[in-house]
Amino acid sequence: MIRALEGYWADQGCVLMQPYHTELAAGTMNPATFLRCLGPKPWKTAYVEPVIRPQDGRYGENPYRFQHYFQYQVILKPAPEDVLDRYFESLEALGIDLRRHDVRLVEDDWEQPTLGAWGLGWEVWCDGMEITQWTYFQQLGGVDVELVPAEMTYGLERLAMFLQGKRSAFELEWAPGVTWGDVYRESEREWSAYNFELAPVDVLEARFGQHEEECRSLVERRLPLPAYDQVLKCSHAFNLLEARGAISVTERAAYIGRVRTLARQVAQLYLELESEGDGDAAA
Amino acid sequence: MATLLLEIGCEELPAGACLEAAEQLPGLVERELGAPPSAVFVGPRRLAALVDVDERTPDEWIKGPPENLAERAAAGFAKKHGVKVEELVSREGFLGVERAGRPLREVLPDRLDAIVRGFSFSKSMRWDESGIRFARPVRWTLAKLEGDTVVGETSFGHRFSSGSLEIPHAGQYAERLREAGVEPDAEERRRQIVAGLDAIGDWSDPGGVLEEVVFLVESVTVLEGSFDERFLALPERVVVTAMQSHQRYFPLGGNRFAFVANGGDPETVRAGNEVVLEGRLDDATFTFERDVQLGIDRLAERLGSITFFAGAGSFTDKADRLRALVEKLGGGEASVEAARLAKADQAAELVREFPDLEGHIGAEYARLAGYPEAVCAAIDEQYLPDAAAGPLPQTEAGKVLAAADKLDTLAVSFSLGHKPTGSRDPYGLRRAAIGLCRLAVEGGLTVPRELMPDEVREFVEERLEGLIDVPVEYVRAARASAAPDLGAVARLAETLYAERETPEFDAVYTAYDRANRLAGREAESAAEELDRSLLREEAEQALAETLAQVGDSVSADGDVRAALETASALGPAMERFFEDVLVMDEDPAVRANRLRLLLDVRDTLGRLGDLSQIPR
Repeated sequence: MIRALEGYWADQGCVLMQPYHTELAAGTMNPATFLRCLGPKPWKTAYVEPVIRPQDGRYGENPYRFQHYFQYQVILKPAPEDVLDRYFESLEALGIDLRRHDVRLVEDDWEQPTLGAWGLGWEVWCDGMEITQWTYFQQLGGVDVELVPAEMTYGLERLAMFLQGKRSAFELEWAPGVTWGDVYRESEREWSAYNFELAPVDVLEARFGQHEEECRSLVERRLPLPAYDQVLKCSHAFNLLEARGAISVTERAAYIGRVRTLARQVAQLYLELESEGDGDAAA
Repeated sequence: MATLLLEIGCEELPAGACLEAAEQLPGLVERELGAPPSAVFVGPRRLAALVDVDERTPDEWIKGPPENLAERAAAGFAKKHGVKVEELVSREGFLGVERAGRPLREVLPDRLDAIVRGFSFSKSMRWDESGIRFARPVRWTLAKLEGDTVVGETSFGHRFSSGSLEIPHAGQYAERLREAGVEPDAEERRRQIVAGLDAIGDWSDPGGVLEEVVFLVESVTVLEGSFDERFLALPERVVVTAMQSHQRYFPLGGNRFAFVANGGDPETVRAGNEVVLEGRLDDATFTFERDVQLGIDRLAERLGSITFFAGAGSFTDKADRLRALVEKLGGGEASVEAARLAKADQAAELVREFPDLEGHIGAEYARLAGYPEAVCAAIDEQYLPDAAAGPLPQTEAGKVLAAADKLDTLAVSFSLGHKPTGSRDPYGLRRAAIGLCRLAVEGGLTVPRELMPDEVREFVEERLEGLIDVPVEYVRAARASAAPDLGAVARLAETLYAERETPEFDAVYTAYDRANRLAGREAESAAEELDRSLLREEAEQALAETLAQVGDSVSADGDVRAALETASALGPAMERFFEDVLVMDEDPAVRANRLRLLLDVRDTLGRLGDLSQIPR
């Protein structure tokens, strides 16, 4: 399945990226999406992203909820006119017969407050199952996008369940003779215990502050890429704190505001450097 | 006359955007083409209109300056419209420009573009360099004047079962689309869906998803599915919510459901949808069983670690405050027990999945734990009314608990400085305040005003102004009365308004007004207490006497009409007083005493409200 997607999107001219090296709650947060979608330069990419959502873990007991799963992320910037047709072709490349199934685009507007980002789009339903989150970005880091990118995020486990006709992710055949459960179930159990019970709240709170501080100083040194990693680390610390139930409703808004401020500063700096770079090149 | 077809082809529009477009399209067509459409078609992938038009645009006359100002103004006007001064034409004393009509086909591209740009959606987006904002990207436009293609090339049929589609003639639009698997007319799709559901029978739509489903499909296939009966162990509303708000299905009762597909092989699509729903129900069952295993009492014990509101403690603290409030509201045993358990479902995993079912899930868990029905019903009803005109709780315990919940939320939010400002009201405080007023006014619940801190009371009582059907001045007058509870304030305002033209009201109003005008400003120089020995004139003695007689029975609590009647006895006494007595006596002690007498009259009548608010 992943091979089919890689092949299809490589043929569409996408740069095939690899997963990022720190915890992300969504493929959107990978700098290959978040930062590259800013500014006036065209960009096409596709990659697998393991996403980490501490709150969604269920100790490997619930066949639909995990704190770690996979997305397949595609960005076409700017979105070509036939972008939806290209997406539907990718489903055909996966072996989905669009005439046999009921494939629909159901309104779903996307917002990521920690990143000051939003867009309009759909969830793609195949016979009622959501298989892709589809978004035209409008703002990232509080900045209006210049070239509107199309983002397609396939939920790989869901898609595999659909293709294999399985009712539980644990039963998915992940490789011949090996199920998804064989590979990840124990990891779900252990990480759920850590996320919900053991992650040290005071350490995480301190870490959040340190990453925030480091991000600021890196912004001052005009290094947006390392600064962005600190935003991601803040975001992950926040997600863990939330899973630990250590954040009240009002505190939550304050934390989100802090991460958003950082994301905005990094986005602006990234754009500044990019336009300066263009200036140099022109000179 | 000729038939014109305009079609705007889009990527799938949300239902809300379709409704907005349907509202705006006729007006935009008329603005740009001078005639309203004879038919409008709205669906997720296309907005279209048929218009009967002239093939030429009408001649135009652009009115300019009056002839007698020609020397000063003609040159500028001519330049603005790109003509020479000599070309200006005079009509009825004014200069102007004549513009001959043009063939419609020449102007159509611009007019269609203006229609596309003329839409305004509550949520819109950009997608390319055109700068157009629309609910979703516009991917093609088509204009056909009779059989001629003026803008664009073709239309498109069903997304997956058909491709580009020739429309030979504007008048054949709907017919050709139907052949290509698209029903363009929203009303016809709705009719087909309802007919399909009726054919299956016994369908319901408590969440109102029909309106959305009409705009989720271009081609209607109504299918029926079922799920494993073991999921019937879940609370029914959990099952219905999973079906309706997540999947847009229509419950058929029991383990059956209906849904509308946009195409595909019916057997495959039905099987797929059944798997998806069972997946969702399986997931819900998993959380439900974990919650039930704990039970509502254990869930309630966990509330101590869940923050209700930063600065306002945990949900355990909230439950304690609710209990105290319920007692002050005169609630019985059931409501006290319900208050203890009301928030237990905040610790339930199922509520995290189905947040709209908070309260209801707690009630179901209380039932499973064997609590009396009165307790369970109260837990179920605690958030009512949850909309401006939504239903009120039906049980007494439910009313008391619902009022206590709102009182607490308001008091806590205000004390922490989270007051609604302008249109911002993230904690739903306006809705809570209106709900509280309705519980008092319509639900007949006694809500003592003393239970509300001043700021909260102001805020809540301001909502009364919009809620009851009397002019605001009467509500404002009543708010300043000594009425002890919200319902009494409302009844007082209503009675004052109903009685406004009676002689009794007039007597009371006049007495209040005169006393207030004269003594109100001089309140500082009034004596602290009335000294009867200083009352020299007969008229002032009589007034004091009447006041002493009626005093105690002037009350806003109870029969206001009777109170008005009693108080009206002060009218003649006051009249005589003002005829015979000079308030501003030379002797300061006498003067102070007379001012005190008038203030006592004002304050006694003032128990019926600040009558000075009422304009006469």
